[in-house]
Parts: sequence; C-alpha cells; structure tokens
Amino acid sequence: MLVKRSSGKTSRGGLARSLAGSLDSGVSRRGFLRRSGLAAGGIAAVGALPGAMIRKAEAGPVLPNVEVVTRKNVCTHCSVGCTVIAEVQNGVWVGQEPGWESPINQGTHCAKGASVRELTRGTRRVKYPLKLVDGAWQRIGWDQAIEEIGNQLLEIRKASGPDAVFWLGSAKFSNEGAYLYRKLAAFWGTNNVDHQARICHSTTVAGVANTWGYGAMTNSYNDIQNSKALVIVGGNPAEAHPVSMQHMLRGKEHNRAPFIVIDPRFTRTAAHATEYVRIRPGTDIPIAWGLLWHIFENGWEDKEYIRQRVYGMDEIRAEVKKWNPDEVERVTGAPGSQLRRVAEALAKNKPSTVIWCMGVTQHTVGTANVRALSILQLALGNIGVAGGGANIYRGHCNVQGATDFGLDVSTLPAYYGLAEGAWKHFSRVWDVEYDYLKGRFGSKELMEAKGIPTTRWFDAVLAQPGQIDQPSPLRAMMCFGHGGNTVTRMPDMVKGLEKLSLLVVADPHPTTFAAIKERRNGTYILPTCTQFETDGSRTCSNRSMQWGEKVVEPIFESKDDYTIIYLLARKLGFAEPMFKHITVEDTRPVPEDILREMNRGCLAIGATGQSPERLKLHMKHQADFDKITMRATSGPCAGDYYGLPWPSWGHPELKHPGSAVLYDTSRHVMDGGGVFRARFGVERNGVSLLADGSYSKGSEIEDGYPEFTMAVLRKLGWDKDLTAEEMRVIQAIGGKDIDTVSWQTDLSMGIIRVALKHGCVPHGNAKARAVAWNLPDPVPVHREPIYSPRPDLVKAYPAIEDRRDFRLVQLARSLQFRVADSDLRQKFPMVLTSGRLVEYEGGGEETRSNPWLAELQQSMFAEVNSADAERLGIKDGAWVWVYGPEDGSKAKMRALVTERVGSGTVFMPFHFSGFWRGDSLRGNYPPDTDPIVLGEPANGVTTYGYDPVTFMQETKVTLCRVEPA
Amino acid sequence: MARMKFLCDSERCIECNACVTACKNEHEVPWGINRRRLVTLNDGKPGERSISMACMHCNDPPCAAVCPVDCFLQTADGVVLHSKDLCIGCGYCFYACPFGAPQYPRTTDFGSRGKMDKCTFCAGGPEPDGSVEEYQKYGANRLAEGKLPLCAEMCSTRALMAGDGAVLADIYQERSLRRGYGSGAPGWSTAYGRNDRGSPFAPGGPATGGG
Amino acid sequence: MKTEPVPQLQRRDLLKSLGLGAAGAAAATVLPGGEAQAAESPQEQVKTRYRETEHVKRFYALNRL
Repeated sequence: MLVKRSSGKTSRGGLARSLAGSLDSGVSRRGFLRRSGLAAGGIAAVGALPGAMIRKAEAGPVLPNVEVVTRKNVCTHCSVGCTVIAEVQNGVWVGQEPGWESPINQGTHCAKGASVRELTRGTRRVKYPLKLVDGAWQRIGWDQAIEEIGNQLLEIRKASGPDAVFWLGSAKFSNEGAYLYRKLAAFWGTNNVDHQARICHSTTVAGVANTWGYGAMTNSYNDIQNSKALVIVGGNPAEAHPVSMQHMLRGKEHNRAPFIVIDPRFTRTAAHATEYVRIRPGTDIPIAWGLLWHIFENGWEDKEYIRQRVYGMDEIRAEVKKWNPDEVERVTGAPGSQLRRVAEALAKNKPSTVIWCMGVTQHTVGTANVRALSILQLALGNIGVAGGGANIYRGHCNVQGATDFGLDVSTLPAYYGLAEGAWKHFSRVWDVEYDYLKGRFGSKELMEAKGIPTTRWFDAVLAQPGQIDQPSPLRAMMCFGHGGNTVTRMPDMVKGLEKLSLLVVADPHPTTFAAIKERRNGTYILPTCTQFETDGSRTCSNRSMQWGEKVVEPIFESKDDYTIIYLLARKLGFAEPMFKHITVEDTRPVPEDILREMNRGCLAIGATGQSPERLKLHMKHQADFDKITMRATSGPCAGDYYGLPWPSWGHPELKHPGSAVLYDTSRHVMDGGGVFRARFGVERNGVSLLADGSYSKGSEIEDGYPEFTMAVLRKLGWDKDLTAEEMRVIQAIGGKDIDTVSWQTDLSMGIIRVALKHGCVPHGNAKARAVAWNLPDPVPVHREPIYSPRPDLVKAYPAIEDRRDFRLVQLARSLQFRVADSDLRQKFPMVLTSGRLVEYEGGGEETRSNPWLAELQQSMFAEVNSADAERLGIKDGAWVWVYGPEDGSKAKMRALVTERVGSGTVFMPFHFSGFWRGDSLRGNYPPDTDPIVLGEPANGVTTYGYDPVTFMQETKVTLCRVEPA
Repeated sequence: MARMKFLCDSERCIECNACVTACKNEHEVPWGINRRRLVTLNDGKPGERSISMACMHCNDPPCAAVCPVDCFLQTADGVVLHSKDLCIGCGYCFYACPFGAPQYPRTTDFGSRGKMDKCTFCAGGPEPDGSVEEYQKYGANRLAEGKLPLCAEMCSTRALMAGDGAVLADIYQERSLRRGYGSGAPGWSTAYGRNDRGSPFAPGGPATGGG
Repeated sequence: MKTEPVPQLQRRDLLKSLGLGAAGAAAATVLPGGEAQAAESPQEQVKTRYRETEHVKRFYALNRL
C-alpha cells in the first residue's frame, strides 16, 4: 500500500511496497479491502493451490486443433452497450477479444465487461429448479416447477383476483423479453408489473417526458466528444459507466472542455474534473436554480431559443430569483463564487452538456430534480443540439429498452399509458378482442389504474384490505432478474417476504430473496440463463438497439426468459391467444418474431424501423459507422445511425436512419431531425403550446403544429397522399370516426409516412414545458428530504403533503415534521448516502459470484470522513456498526476512512447482501450458489421516502450513526 | 527493433480494473495472484491519480540479475519471460523488482513460495508458442498471434497502452500537445517544475488543488 | 480480420480460418498438435514475436483518437 504523503510524491520503495499485494498496508480503498478479505468461502485459498505451478493441469481456455467460432453479443452490465466478442470452442466460451469495430466501446471494457466470459462458466449459478421445503432446498424438475407454480397462481387468482400477483420483470431482459413479460401481465390481467427502472431512472423518464416529450437520453455517449463543457450532477461514470469516460475524456482533451462534477462525494469521476463542487446531499434543485440565478442575472440565457421553443420560462425566473448566492450556500453548502464560475463555464462554452445519474433521480424530489436540470439546459438552448443535451446515463444494460417496452405499472409498451384507447390499440396489435383483455382484469377500473411499484410491493403485501386500492393485498411475487437488496427499508421487505404465499425467483443466481431465513416454504427458484445464452435486442442509453447473438447454449438446466414466459402462459391457459403471431419453436418463442410484433405496434416512440434484419446488419457492419457521429459512411447501412436510435419512424422499408440527437431542428426529419413533442395539447390559458417559428429542416409547415391525426391530415389536404390500403386500415381502426385515428394508432403507418413525406414530425411540433402543470410541483421547488439533517430548513422547504397514489398511501410531510420535531437528529447525527462500485452491479449477486471481480472487493464498507473517524475513534479498516433510524436497523461493516466524503457524511455501496445485522446468511443459499463475497446490504438501514410522481425511493439522503463495533 | 513497453496515461486512467480482470480472464489467473493491479495515489483527494502496474519488462531487469537459477530470459523485442521449470520460488526477484511484479502461490517465511508468476506481456513462456503446456504454465501467447496484451487492448479509456515503445511515446506526445499541459501525474511537478502551461482548469492545476 | 503469413503457429487465427464455413460440421481441423511439437531451442525462445499486424495497427489508431 502506498504510504500516505501529502505532497503526492512517492519513492521507489513506496511503490514497490504498494505492489506487494496482500503484504501491503495502506489507505486506498482496494489496498485495504484486499487485506481485509480472504475469508471467502467456496474459493480455493491461495495456499491450497498446487505449489508446482499456479494452475492445475486442466485444459486452458483455447485448445489447439479445435474449431473456434466467433460470436458477437453485448455486455450485460451497464447501459453503455459494449460489444463483446466471444470465441467459442465445442460449445464452450473460451476467450474474449476486443471488438474494435463497435462505434460505442471500440474494443474497450471495464472490469465487469472484461469478465463476462465467467458468466457462462457459472460455477455459482443456479443449476436446476429448486423448491424450498421447511427451510431446505429440494431439487425438482422443470415440469413439476411450472405445474406447481401455475396451480398456485391459479388458486390465488380464483380466491383473490389477478391483482394479488406481482410480476417483477427485469432490465436485464432483452427488449423482446421485456415486451413479452408485459404482455404476459396483460393477459394475466394486472398492471402490477414493474422492473428496475422504478429504482434507477423512473423520475428521469417522468421528468424529461413531461418537459419535452420523451423519457430518454437526448444525445449519446459518443456525442459528448462534441461538448465544449460538461457538467455531471449526481453521477459517477468512472465507476458506473466506465467506458463512457472514454468519450468524455476525449471530449475534454480535444475541446479543452471544462469538466465539472457536482456531487456530495469526491468520486473517481471528480478526480478527473477541472472543477469539483461538493454539495449537501439532496440539494440539487437549489444548485440548478443557483446556476440559473447567475445565468439570468448576467443575461447568459438563449433568449431566442426560449421564445421559440420553451413554454413558461417566466414562472421559472420568479422561482429562481429566490435562490441568490447566499441562500444557495446556506442550503447546499456550495459557495456562490464557485457556482458563478460553473454557470459561466456552461454558458460560454457551448454547446454544453448536462449529465446526470442516480444522485439526481433517487430522491423524494427526483422528478423535480430532473426537471430543474432540464430547464437549465433549455435556458441555455442546449437541447436538440449536437454536443449539448441531457445525457442521462441509464443503469442496466437494457433498462432503457425494458422501460420503452412497457415493464411499468403505469403504461403499456411504448408509453401508450393505460387508458381505454391504449388497450384498444394493443388489442389490435395482439389481434385479440378488447373485451377478452378486459375480462382478464378484476375490473375496467383496475385495468386502467396504475399498479403497485416495486419500491412498495411489501407494503402491498402487509396492507390490510381497505388500505389498498385493489381487491386483495399481494399474495404472490414472480421475480424475474431482480436483486432482493435493491429496495430501501429492507426490514419491512423481510416482513413482506415472510407473508407472501408464493415467491418465484427466475434468475441465474438465487438472489437475496432466496437467502432470507424468515422464509421457509413456498419459494421456487427457476434457473434462468443470461443474455449470452440466448439472442435478442437490447437498447443502450442512447436509444441504439443492438442485436446480441447467442454465444453458448443455456448452461446446466437453465432456460431463457422467452421459454419460461411461454411455459407459464401455457400452464395459465392463454398461450394460444398470446402467441397468435409469434412462432414458438418447441417451447421457445422466436425473438425475431416478437420484435416484428413490437415493430408493428410501438409507433409512439418510433420503435418501428428497427427490424431484426436491420439490427443484425448493423452488428455485422459495425466497422462502417463513424466513431463520433455513429453514422455509417459506407456499406449496406450507409446513412443509418448505429443501432437505429429511436425514433426510427415508419416501416423498416422506409429506411429511416434513426435519431442520434433528439429534437434537433438542424436536420430533416428523414435525416434524424426532430422537434419537441406536442403531447400536452395545443394551448393553455390562451397561450399557445406549439413552437413559434421553429421547425425541423425541410418542414413544409414552417411553424409549430399539433400531432398528426386523420383530422389534421384532412385539414392540410394531405389525406390524398394515403394509399388505398392505408385508408382501409385507418377506416377499420376508426370505424365511423376516422378523424380520431392518429399517428400513434394507425397500424398502416400511413399517417406517419405522409407526415414524413412533407418533412413533418408525426408527433407534432411544440414547445418544451418549463412549467408542467400536471405534476405535483409544476415549477420544481426545493423540498428537504424526509430525514433531513437540517431541521431548521424543514419548515421553509417542507416535503409534499401526504397523499395516495399507486393504490397506496404515501406519507411525506407528516413524517418529515415528526422527524424534524423529534430528537432523531441527535441520535443519528450523520447523513447516509449510497452509490456504486465499478466491480459490482446492482444487487451484486451475479458480480459477487464472479471470482475475477469478487477478488477486487472483498468486504462491505462505509466511507467515513477522517475528521469524523478521529472523533469517533474509528480506525481505517476496523469494523463498525451503522445504525439507521427506522425499526432499530443496523449493519456491520468495515470503515474506510477517507476524504472522499465530507465531514458528517457516510457513504455505502449498495451491491452487498448475504449478511444481516452482523450474521452471515451463507447457509441459507441453495448449495453451491452462495456468492463468493457477502456483506451487509446498505438498504438494511435505509428509510422511508418516495417521489410523488413515480414512487422512486430515496436512497441518497437519510440519517445514521456510526460506532466502532 | 521495436521494444515492447507498457505506458499508463494517468490523465485517462479511472481505476476501473478492466486491465486486471482482462488479465485474469485471458490467462485464467487464479485467486490471489495479481499479475496486474491498480495503484492509486491521493485516494479520495484532489489530485487523485491511478496507474495500472504490472511487470514493466525492464531493459535491464533486476529480477534476472539476482535470480540464483537464472530462470529469466528476455526476448529480442524486450519481453521478460521466465521458466517455471527452473524457478525454485526463492523470492529474490520480488525483492529486486522495483514494481512488485513477481507473484507467488504461497506466502511463507521459510521455504519455497512456489513457482513465481508474473505478467508475460501476453507472450507465454519458453515452451513452444501456442502449446497447451505453455498455456498451462504461463497463459496465452497473444504476441505470437499478432496481438497485444489484452489488458491494454481492453482498457476502458485507452489509458493503458502496450506495444512498440516508440509508437507509444509518440501517441503520448500527441495527447500532451492536445491537452496543452504535461502529465498531471504526481511527481510530474517535481521533475519538470510547477509551471505547467494551459488552462487553470487543467487537472493538476491550481483550481483542483493538485500539481 | 486479416491473417498474415507468419512462421509461428497462429493458434487462434489459424484455427479460426480453418473453422470458417465449417459451421455445424465436426470439421476435420486436425493440426500438428501442441503435444507433437518439439521444445523450443534457446534461440527460438528469445526470438521476436511482435509484429505490426492489422490488429496491432488498429489498436494504435484507436489510441490516437
């Protein structure tokens, strides 16, 4: 370990010592953890290796004389979408090579991506279906598993209705898997279907969709190379999206761009910043308004852009006026002079981009945070501009796609929502009677009511009938590809888990859910393969869709998501209508067919042009795509943007190239151009919501316009451009009133085609909304967290009023005031926040089971500032207890004494589980499936607090106390 | 003649450990043996910098100088290899190496530490190139396949480079010119003075408290 | 990727090129196996292995971006 030196100088001896591995002693995160580890069960300890050679005489990965096949897939960890090149021999994945051609990662990987081959060796994977009987795991067969699970589901349905089952899907599904799972829930008859987006970027989707139309990153990782300034708020891409840093650091170097990090924690990303702003956790809105205060004060805003393309900025000005530098510093801790410097850097180095991640989204004010940053970018005129944009880094490899294709309690695929019109659209897409679908639900009201989100499922299990706006509390959970330690308030989660009559975990790993000792019966584990053992498409953060090719067959007895979904649908009795237009080979639905069905129906986001054939062609010809613009300059894909980032309007035959930068008026719509979506009407209180004199290049309407419907086409006289066949479809859909058929529901895609022909964007051309009147806070306002460390600010900046939503009660202000008025602050004097490590992902079961990664992070830890540590008598590497303010919660872990967190702040990574209040749960895992590294889950001590728009959980601010153990 | 070198650009290195796991993956390096690792200076403080370290394939390797059984060999392109058949696990090379590169399967105060293992620049060992025996003792031989060490090929931010030292120096010079300042690495100011030109926002500049 | 003519056994490249088009078939790719080879002479052991192949050139080019 390196000797700590204030000057940063080192000596030869020091360096050598630092490299001596487990012999070292030092202060860096990994150095200390390496020392502290080595208690890992199930691993051949170093001393046990044969002394003669480091490796037994087992065959090496690549054998001479055996054919090597190369296959191309996409990394299954984060949303960057790195191409993985796999070398396969005899059906075994034996080597990973860099994929130079990928325009995204260009051959590079992070620790996780460079280790994915291990997933298909799978020594710690679930190998066969399992059933928990009186606390013991029994091996069973697939037939028995599906039969028993299906029978119990049908019993629950009969007794308590379809809403008593919670269907939790996954951001690690392919797009086709996500869509199929949403369809499964629809055919089962519930909207209680959700996935990880709820807990990572649901507030982003709600926030940006309510601002300018679509819930997605506006530009791309690559495009950041065009940015003249970057600001990263509440994000740590150096650990969470390492390969994105390739583009960011190149942009920084080429453009000499100010690289600004705003975060409570001096992250590894901040280590590469030109300016680091430390803020108190949970004060992002005051920061955004504090920056805007300087921008407005100095007239740095883009006045013409605002006039043409933004609605309601004056109301923002009024709110921003309150956030003068003194008030901002009082609330956030960031000095006014520093914020002035940041505001100036953003305003004078344009285009500038704002990047955010879960430090912004996972708050009780998550949606408002997102909106505030979006408005900051609108004021600077940075949206719809290459090099600008709101570059929102999504989390999992397919969280964007799983969100797009409807794994959400509030919408059908492609954000159609749950209203009758949406159901009628999908009943046409699925070719089933609307009345059949309606009959599957408890009632028409339940069919159109938002379901229970994954952050609160256990509240819905524990609720008394009457406390919950559905006929029965939840009784069963079907959990596909989702960790059990990722949601706050784990002590309550454990109570909910205990009460469920049926729990089904379909996952490559048993997950935390399977290791909770309170549960002794009624759990099934279905071994599910990874995306390397099947094929299908996934959408990266920048909306590019990439087709992954099966590398090897599913290992052990595992099956892919498609097959498991089919087996369940068949057992539950609706496979026939559900797979009417999807080929099923044996029991495996063909993903290409699923994608074709999605292409037919997902008009609203332009997920129609990405046919399986086009996506496969892109993967094959990756080398033809430019590494910054992501546009193919030659070959069969010439003109296309890589992965046809949605919207790729119309039929695949229309060859729309995809849209690399959303809302970019400098391009023709057929060239990837766009405008803000007209989603909220054409006028409000006498003020037009349509764009004023701004339109995409080549538009025949040189002004704002509403979304296209038959009525609009007729008014323009463009209905004559529709073909007879298109008219036939429109008439079939519209019946007597074809005027209401819109670009979103016209399955012939004729309306879209005609709009494009005239250079218009099908979704209309509106202003972005600085004021979103349909949200709880139309203008984002600062609200202190529920567990605020500043009771003195709570009355001035209170939480939202208590309310009901998503079928449940949401406490907010009452709880916040109770906390502020109590002596909790004295008992729990530190702020607790959480985040990621580069080696692990999500709940961490998969990555902690990978020896190449697990070796690098062997202990759960809490970062404690050195001043606090000295005061509390905590030594670096020593065991500490972290106490939380709810339920007597506590967790035991090691202390990492560091300057990375400010005094008064404690940071914990959220990837650990398998310990509970000091006790190991290793024995509760099914045999040989326990991850190599276990640790206390951060969510063992996190607390109540939800965003009002999406029920996003608050993970970034609560209170805690740390004591030496 | 090209000499094989590693160069880690600390302005780019984000300590993501891709190099470490790529190495583990390519050579199936067992738990506890670290042919490559990250070193971070000023962890958690302004001026924090990381570099990826392994055997540096010295021109005049001190490990070879002290080896009592003369198990080291250096190839014509500068790669330092060793023979596990000859190695007696005495550990002298560990004390001689300024970078802590040699690794041993056993930790012991007395007696053999087992056969030494270290980075081979993905060039295998004395056994025939690409043979099973070579793989089992030393791992893959990418260099013989016309490739470079996988750690560098997969580096997330193109911080770690490997290959012909002259080419790498050239690439690094291009980067420095583009940035408008020299290495922000700790030690740079000691060696080259504190007055780096360029923006005050430059890493290592006064705005970040580094330098 | 281009396979260059070189004297050494091109373990993966050689095997890959032989594997081309042999999908599905238990291709008869019997090569002089590793076992069959004689040990390298001291001169062979220290010979140059580095070559500036297309693969290597692409790596350098990407580092210049």
